[in-house]
Amino acid sequence: MRFAPPNPLRIADRASGLNALSVRSYNERLVLSLLLQNEGISRMEIGEKTGLSAQTASVIVRSLEQEGLVSQGEAQRGRVGPPTIPLSLNPEGAYAVGVGFSRRRIDIALIDFIGTVRFHTQLPADEANPFPQSSELLEAIRQAMTSLPVEARGRVAGIGLAVPDEVDAMAATRNGSSTSLKALQGEIEEQIKLPVFVQNDITAAAGGESMFGVAKPLNDYLFFYLGARLQSRLILNHQIYKGNSSASFDHGLVRLESELTRRGRPSEIIWSSSPEWPDLGEAYGAWLGECSNRLKASISALTQFVEFRTVVLSSYAPQKIAKALCADISQEFATIEALPARVTISPKAVGAASLPFSSRFMIQ
Amino acid sequence: MRSVLCYGDSNTHGQIPGRGPLERYGPEERWPGILRSQLGPDWYVIEEGLSGRTTVHDDPIEGAHKNGRTYLRPCLQSHATLDLVIIMLGTNDLKIRFNKPPSEVAMGIGCLVYDIKELAPGPGGSTPEIMIVAPPPMQDDVKEWKSIFAGAPEKSRLLALEFEVLADSLELHFFDAGSVVSCSEADGFHIDAEAHRLLGTALARAVDAIGWSRST
Repeated sequence: MRFAPPNPLRIADRASGLNALSVRSYNERLVLSLLLQNEGISRMEIGEKTGLSAQTASVIVRSLEQEGLVSQGEAQRGRVGPPTIPLSLNPEGAYAVGVGFSRRRIDIALIDFIGTVRFHTQLPADEANPFPQSSELLEAIRQAMTSLPVEARGRVAGIGLAVPDEVDAMAATRNGSSTSLKALQGEIEEQIKLPVFVQNDITAAAGGESMFGVAKPLNDYLFFYLGARLQSRLILNHQIYKGNSSASFDHGLVRLESELTRRGRPSEIIWSSSPEWPDLGEAYGAWLGECSNRLKASISALTQFVEFRTVVLSSYAPQKIAKALCADISQEFATIEALPARVTISPKAVGAASLPFSSRFMIQ
Repeated sequence: MRSVLCYGDSNTHGQIPGRGPLERYGPEERWPGILRSQLGPDWYVIEEGLSGRTTVHDDPIEGAHKNGRTYLRPCLQSHATLDLVIIMLGTNDLKIRFNKPPSEVAMGIGCLVYDIKELAPGPGGSTPEIMIVAPPPMQDDVKEWKSIFAGAPEKSRLLALEFEVLADSLELHFFDAGSVVSCSEADGFHIDAEAHRLLGTALARAVDAIGWSRST
């Protein structure tokens, strides 16, 4: 027993890039999750935060390095105490594709392991038929994957779909069954040969922000998504609460659109992902004020029940808007800090793309 | 101050490639010396290299004292307490007289690890950190050592993987010397001064990467 041949199961499989078939150990996931939250921590700090011994951390880091998921930085010398070698997630270690469904468009994004959007495209959506041409969608997903160099394509961990509840419901009514989303999921899995994960769109956007954005260090926060409508999620101790009524307010971009239409102005620009909008006149100001009031009312209502210090506002609309709304909120509530989200290119699609990562590499 | 024991064979002893066993690089040139200068004054580096040392075999020709296992225990006790033990052995096990496959050389290393864990010469009677270093693969041409090392160069290329499997399964630190240096052409299995420098530097980095708390 003492001197039996060693068990080779622990060693990373050098043949396949992502060690696809083996189930990742809890400790590997723990280390990857820590590295996602803390860029450049040392093996010693990993040991301190996880209780793993230095030797166990060594074995895990070595296998993650061999798989290309983790990379070592240069030694940090010249400070007080022993030098440390910082470890980070390797951005090229894994990729994922996310699809965000909205009323007006479908966003397809490919992200790397640290959440940087490497490819982004859009398809028009048909409100009456939310999952229209699966062939077009499949083509866009393939396009996202072929944007990677050939040798990196095997490192795509999976595909995520961020789907609004009402779109799912609508598709179900239309097709007379509730399987249309499942059918789409199955079709993508079969065609692309990668696992497909599905989540509610706003929950996915909040998850993406927690994983890659300003909410990374936050345990508790209130998340708003400003899209066609204004929607929110409460995050407590890293758990995203959806609530029973999927509270969604009509103060989003649909309202701005109707303000513009009422004043006889063109409104198409607000549905694009243009980083700047032209001057939209008084309609914009009126809408922004209402939107701000709605946000403040929601926050004020919630603070009576739950303690949180941060509000994160996510939107694909120009950053200027999120900044203005956040400034308003911060001014209204002395104890609350409002932050514009960091994920600005299609937050839903990026959130969707984070699903394969959390499922395959992270602790929940 | 922390202590590291460098336990190895002629390539830890600093034997000059192509020369006799008494011809040795100077203390500052051998890899433990490079390690000492790289790690700085916080570390006490103990050199323990012996030409011809095996993992666990009494050598019927060179002598029983070449057995790395019988000498390890007194050596650990002499130098306790130790924060880290670096073991770089295996090349001599490949001599034809021992007739051992690479996997069994790794098991020999496993015996040494077992002894270190049992003796627990670390601070407060703990197990010290243990780092297994796979020796660099031999050159195909080992000159006048050809008959002694018959079949060894090929086996030597498999040591790194076997050692890493062992290190993973016993949860040890591991470093593949072949990733930074190769053996000298002069005799095919010793490393030259430049290789000592590169290896010592790389090992210092590997020791740093273990991560050490600020208190000593």
